[in-house]
Amino acid sequence: MKMDTPLPAVRLMDLHKRYGDFAAVDGVSLDVRKGEFLTFLGSSGSGKTTTLNMIAGFDDPTSGQILLNGGAVTGLPPQKRNIGMVFQRYTLFPHMTVAENVGFPLSVRRLSKDEVNSRVLDALRLVQLDRFAGRRPSQLSGGQQQRVALARALVYEPQLLLMDEPLGALDKKLREEIQIEIRKLHHRLGVTILYVTHDQEEALRMSDRIAVFEHGRIVQVGSGEDLYHCPATAFVAGFIGNSNFLRGSVAERRSDAAIVKLGENSAVCVPVDAVGGVGSEVRIMIRPEEIKLSHALSDAAGAVIPVTVRERIFLGDTISYEVATRDGQSVLVREDRARNQGRCVGPGTDAYMHIAINQNRVYKKY
Amino acid sequence: MNAAATSGTFREARAAWPAIAFLFVFFALPVGALMLRSVTDPQWGLQNFSDLLATGTYARVLFNTFLVAAVVTLMSLLIGYPLAWLLVMLPARWQQVLLAILLMSMWTSLLARTYAWLVLLQKTGVINRILLSVGVIDAPLPLVNNLTGVVIGMTYIMLPFVVLPLRATLATLDPALMHAGAVCGASPWRLFRSVLLPLSLPGIGAAGLMVFVMSLGYYVTPALLGGTGNMMLAELIAQTVQSFLNWGLGAAAALVLLCATLALYALHMRYLDEDA
Repeated sequence: MKMDTPLPAVRLMDLHKRYGDFAAVDGVSLDVRKGEFLTFLGSSGSGKTTTLNMIAGFDDPTSGQILLNGGAVTGLPPQKRNIGMVFQRYTLFPHMTVAENVGFPLSVRRLSKDEVNSRVLDALRLVQLDRFAGRRPSQLSGGQQQRVALARALVYEPQLLLMDEPLGALDKKLREEIQIEIRKLHHRLGVTILYVTHDQEEALRMSDRIAVFEHGRIVQVGSGEDLYHCPATAFVAGFIGNSNFLRGSVAERRSDAAIVKLGENSAVCVPVDAVGGVGSEVRIMIRPEEIKLSHALSDAAGAVIPVTVRERIFLGDTISYEVATRDGQSVLVREDRARNQGRCVGPGTDAYMHIAINQNRVYKKY
Repeated sequence: MNAAATSGTFREARAAWPAIAFLFVFFALPVGALMLRSVTDPQWGLQNFSDLLATGTYARVLFNTFLVAAVVTLMSLLIGYPLAWLLVMLPARWQQVLLAILLMSMWTSLLARTYAWLVLLQKTGVINRILLSVGVIDAPLPLVNNLTGVVIGMTYIMLPFVVLPLRATLATLDPALMHAGAVCGASPWRLFRSVLLPLSLPGIGAAGLMVFVMSLGYYVTPALLGGTGNMMLAELIAQTVQSFLNWGLGAAAALVLLCATLALYALHMRYLDEDA
């Protein structure tokens, strides 16, 4: 074992889970660093929850290994893994008070009554619910219940905290409030957190790194910025942030670059290994905020494509346009209001769309 | 709106009158008349009750009845609880198979099932023969014509009445609760003790009450599988009324049964109220 790299908190080694012919998880490998906040992001059925359930011990992998702090836990029941977990549904025990719920993991561990009481109080203070210790879960709101569940998951100081869409049932404002609370707790306690969500905004807001799931595989792991700026596949590009995919075709292949035709008379240079043969289709992803609209041709680098403005929507800090290229592709453009000031590109007018092609966002297929 | 709601309630109540009248004429009146005979037959007074409680044989019958009902309730809960849990946890297709077996046995003639137990349990029955040939026992076990036989037969017959209400209670529990408990570090036994059992207590109460009350007044199975020496209350009632034409004593025994049932029901309702 190398001395300079500490053991990962979680190591997934070629994890598979099959139900009959269906591969719910299809070869997932991943290292989660100690103290990291890592999010599994994906749509429903992408394998993220199944992977989490295998880490928790509710499901056994069909093949592959799970290591927690370097030790294999495959086959170990959940109660022997020393993991904390918060579920999507409210899972407080309805017949116990808030304090009894939070104290349950401690009394299971046979701590003394005084120790249980003081640690329960600490944990409830952590989520600002110490005033509610004597209540029943049914007397709390959904957000409060999930905060108690969080306290219950943290009270025994587990090495790893799993969160399976814990805020899915809450409304948007409350969700953002608790997101910040969880983020603060993570900074304060330094616990490793594995978080599952289908909400890309939530993933971006909270995570150190995001693992994007598709069809039971991880398609890309990286920081939110990595995924936003250099998405590995068109799927990731489409999943994280708003995106436009411009259709084009390969016009020419040189040794160092390929020329892709976009529309009638615009062309861009792209890396030759990102595209297929001459004549094959290419998708180029452009973020809405990276496009400039103007009535005049400018000499800025990049491609210029003539468009017609279909719609202009004022959104306060930004102005959103929907424009159409000559060959009918619809493109979303977002401009800062400050940058846009003075220029008025109204609906129905013709304009030029200036784009800088990011070399990393050229895809052979959607 | 208030008036409409009131007249709606009134109209609904009016629709129930035929049923109420039917129950009154064909249930409340005859039962009341019979109950009355316990203090009027053969003469005014509590003679029948003092006979029932003071006479050794009758007191023994009362004791047997409550003992058998209690043991049957306990046994059917012990067997029925895991079965109900299995019914909730199994994949849907196996649930249906298990449920079908349970219901089929419930729908088969009571008499046929009781005679089948007689065949199984008697001295030369299947169970004794197997145990003898394996060498577990030297002489056949007295499994029938005594309270053991009654308990075995009745536990089997009461099983669906425990399993079905328990299953309904258990089905409302979120399996995620058990997952949450397991992650907290609780062993399966601890989970059962601290989470599953307390949450299923209302179901256990309802099922237990149902079986206990049904067992108190059960006639066919005790009559066939029980011995002549250890009668139960329903048999006693039948005997006093049919053989001895002693309506007063029979009515008194029936009233004791009814009061026991009502008392238990009241206790159950009070417990439910406190729980809510």
